[in-house]
Amino acid sequence: MPGNTRVSLGRRAFLGGMAAAGAAAAGLRAGRARAAESLNALVWCDHTDPALIRPFEEAFDVRVNLKEYEGTGTAFSIIEQSAPGDGDVFVIDGIDVPRAVDAGILAPLPEEELPTADLFPELVMAESHVRDGRTWAISEKFGYNTISYNREKVDPADVMDMAVIWSEKYAGRIAIYDYYLPIIGLVAIGLGKKTSELTEADLPAIREKLFQMKKVAKLVGDVVASQTALATGEVDILVGGGEWVTAGLAAEKPELDWVLPKQGGLRWSQSIGIFADSTRKDLALEFVKYILSPEGQARLATSSCYWAMPANRRAGEVLTPQQKAALRWDDQPAYLARAQLYPAPDAELDARMQDIWTEMLQQ
Amino acid sequence: MRRLADGLALGYVVAVYAFIYLPVAVLVLFSFQESRLPIPPFDGPSLRWYAAVFADRRLTDALANSLLVALLSSALAALLGFLAAYGLARYRLPASGLQRALLTAPLSVSYLIIGLGLLIMFSRLGVPRSLLTVGIGHTVINLPLCFAITYSQMGAHQENVERAARDLGAREWQVMLLVTAPMLLPAILAGFLLSVTFSWDEFIIAFLLSRFDVTLPVEIWSLLRSGLNPRNNAVGSVVFLFSFALVLVMELLLFRRGRRR
Amino acid sequence: MAAVRAARRQRLRGFAFVLPALLWTAAFFLLPFAFMVAMSLWRRVGGRILESWTLENYADFFGRPHFLEGLANSLEITLTVTVISVLFAYPLAWIIAEKVPERWQRAALMLAVLPFWTSYVVRSYAWLLVLAHDGVVNRALLAVGLVEAPLVLASTRTATVIGFVHFFVMLLTLTIYANLRQLSPNYARAAADLGAGPVRIFLHVILPLTLPGVMVGAFLTFVLAIGDYVTPQILGGNNELVLPQIIMLQIGRRADLPSASAMAIVLMAVVTLVYFACARWLRLERA
Repeated sequence: MPGNTRVSLGRRAFLGGMAAAGAAAAGLRAGRARAAESLNALVWCDHTDPALIRPFEEAFDVRVNLKEYEGTGTAFSIIEQSAPGDGDVFVIDGIDVPRAVDAGILAPLPEEELPTADLFPELVMAESHVRDGRTWAISEKFGYNTISYNREKVDPADVMDMAVIWSEKYAGRIAIYDYYLPIIGLVAIGLGKKTSELTEADLPAIREKLFQMKKVAKLVGDVVASQTALATGEVDILVGGGEWVTAGLAAEKPELDWVLPKQGGLRWSQSIGIFADSTRKDLALEFVKYILSPEGQARLATSSCYWAMPANRRAGEVLTPQQKAALRWDDQPAYLARAQLYPAPDAELDARMQDIWTEMLQQ
Repeated sequence: MRRLADGLALGYVVAVYAFIYLPVAVLVLFSFQESRLPIPPFDGPSLRWYAAVFADRRLTDALANSLLVALLSSALAALLGFLAAYGLARYRLPASGLQRALLTAPLSVSYLIIGLGLLIMFSRLGVPRSLLTVGIGHTVINLPLCFAITYSQMGAHQENVERAARDLGAREWQVMLLVTAPMLLPAILAGFLLSVTFSWDEFIIAFLLSRFDVTLPVEIWSLLRSGLNPRNNAVGSVVFLFSFALVLVMELLLFRRGRRR
Repeated sequence: MAAVRAARRQRLRGFAFVLPALLWTAAFFLLPFAFMVAMSLWRRVGGRILESWTLENYADFFGRPHFLEGLANSLEITLTVTVISVLFAYPLAWIIAEKVPERWQRAALMLAVLPFWTSYVVRSYAWLLVLAHDGVVNRALLAVGLVEAPLVLASTRTATVIGFVHFFVMLLTLTIYANLRQLSPNYARAAADLGAGPVRIFLHVILPLTLPGVMVGAFLTFVLAIGDYVTPQILGGNNELVLPQIIMLQIGRRADLPSASAMAIVLMAVVTLVYFACARWLRLERA
């Protein structure tokens, strides 16, 4: 029986320990709630870097809760499955802002508080951001979906032609970024089409090329899988890559490079706005202003998930020369001139594109 | 001949253990990597990624959320499971086979499907997704477990003691609370602890049913998607250590007595 | 009369204990399932859910080769994983139960299932690192000179299978070990007394007696593997999709809950069919 007593004592101690653990967890959460307010933001993963968020949290004594997603379709799925008032700040692809305005989920922004004049002129994108004389979102970051490659293993002349992404020469050494819009856009560019004019009629040709690409590709991966594949030598070419894959790895993997082929490439841009049913619009606006400030822009440009160009030119005053070199700050005028925007399909065409994409994955 | 067989057996065991430990070893080793890429060559040891993990408030928040959800949902599952097991084992109830089947049914349904069903119901009913909805989901998957474990331990031995207590004038609730529950404590605790480890590590239901407050596996999933980084290895090693500690506690407190007997 | 009333009261009281759990299961398991069935009979058209009854989602699933192929991939991978895992786990469990001295068995078993407690999401990621082009396995093989060029391992079906087998070998070792331990050594002794050699004892006595337990473990493996999204998503490199991946695409990228529901129900139906196919053995175990 003495053994028994010891065990039950131990058990009581154990139960106590569990209760303590629960209390500690609850305490941790309570301590968190103590921060006066919280702000919920639906974002791409680059906004989750503590180096970007913490200065704002400290300045305003708030907590920023972030929900990250990849791709506008995913964002709309999340919003659709949410209760109104769930989110405050929304980061969305610039090209898709009109869809969000149509859906009535964005609130207008006070123009006088935004540094629109400091943006790269191409990034003002009034056709996307302004409707009925009001501004609904503002660009915060941009970059390119083109071709990333390993300079030591791929002939740089080859990647100057978009056709490399479906050629047999690098069969088994190519990864495709798993996001249907930019890749379909790149294929369209490779076929000599304009991304802004794509219709249902262009899809059969694009579908054929996609299937061809799938045959020569090693994998189709999200941000981390494609980055892993390129960095570990699994593949030598990443279709849909760009500075957002390679710039952050510049120190460890200097042989990784990216180009805009002779046909051009795709420019992506993220815009930031405020949810129409947000209950904390003032705070949300402060967040937007912080992200657009030169300091916020420099941190966003070099955040841990992916690096890319800040939309605000004045971030150049804060970025270091090395960072600017990795971002290719000085080449931007030439790039901007040669890049097209993402395709912006309506719901119908979007569904067709996604069908093709799923089919392609299953090839 | 005998020795050859033993040698083969040993070789087999070593090979399988090597296979089982390979990913863990790689995970832990490269959590101490110095540079940004968790692939060979190893250039550590360095603790910088552990520092990054503990400095990342999103991760520590998620850890607290996970603990809270795991403890509360498991406690509820253990309680409901015990009550149901007591009712079904001690009373003759109509359609008791059907009741048992219903209570254990969630065991044979994929988590993805349970999560999707709850997602649809909550969004149709306008229930916002939060840690509460995650906890509900985890209770659904753990209740059958707690019920089955407790029910299987309810034997004639306890029944005799209960009868004795009743003969001595104990009321029903006293019997249950003061006689049955303590006797079944090992089973209840085993169910509870197993539930804690399941909930602690559950991904898909938490992914579908959470929003801005997330649990650790969901946060780790986001982390994995945000780039190749030894930080992922570090956080994986920390979780491993934590779960291991939990299992050790379970082993020492619950099963040692059984072995001694 | 009084006896009948007392019996009824007893029954009501007993029912009161079971009721909370039943209500919970009804509210958060059965009801969501009903919602899902209803949803699978609606359609998502042009960004709206159309609440009129139709079987089109099911027709879609069975009419489109790339969806059906997802089901085929799921079945192939899951069956492969189940068979390989049993073949790996059985000998290990047997060696632990028979060859390892009694006092070390528990430790040996604990050691075999320890990595079970690494985070499920992280485990697949770790395999990705192990199997990468520049990863540990390829480096070792190259160093030993077993291969001349790195093997293509990551982002393939092989990688998915390896990731799964790793998990289920641990799970099955536990269940098969428990089964072997329940066997009375008297069976083997009796067979030996009757002149059977070790191989015959194993084939004719031990294996048949443990088969029901193995079947339960195999069924569990099947259910868990066929419903898993994480392992194929991380390790498969999107080179082919399994059904859970397609379901998640429908939920995540398209907010198409109706078609996701239909696919989920197909998945459940498949599992149920397999359950009935194995029911003979599964029921044996319970008896």
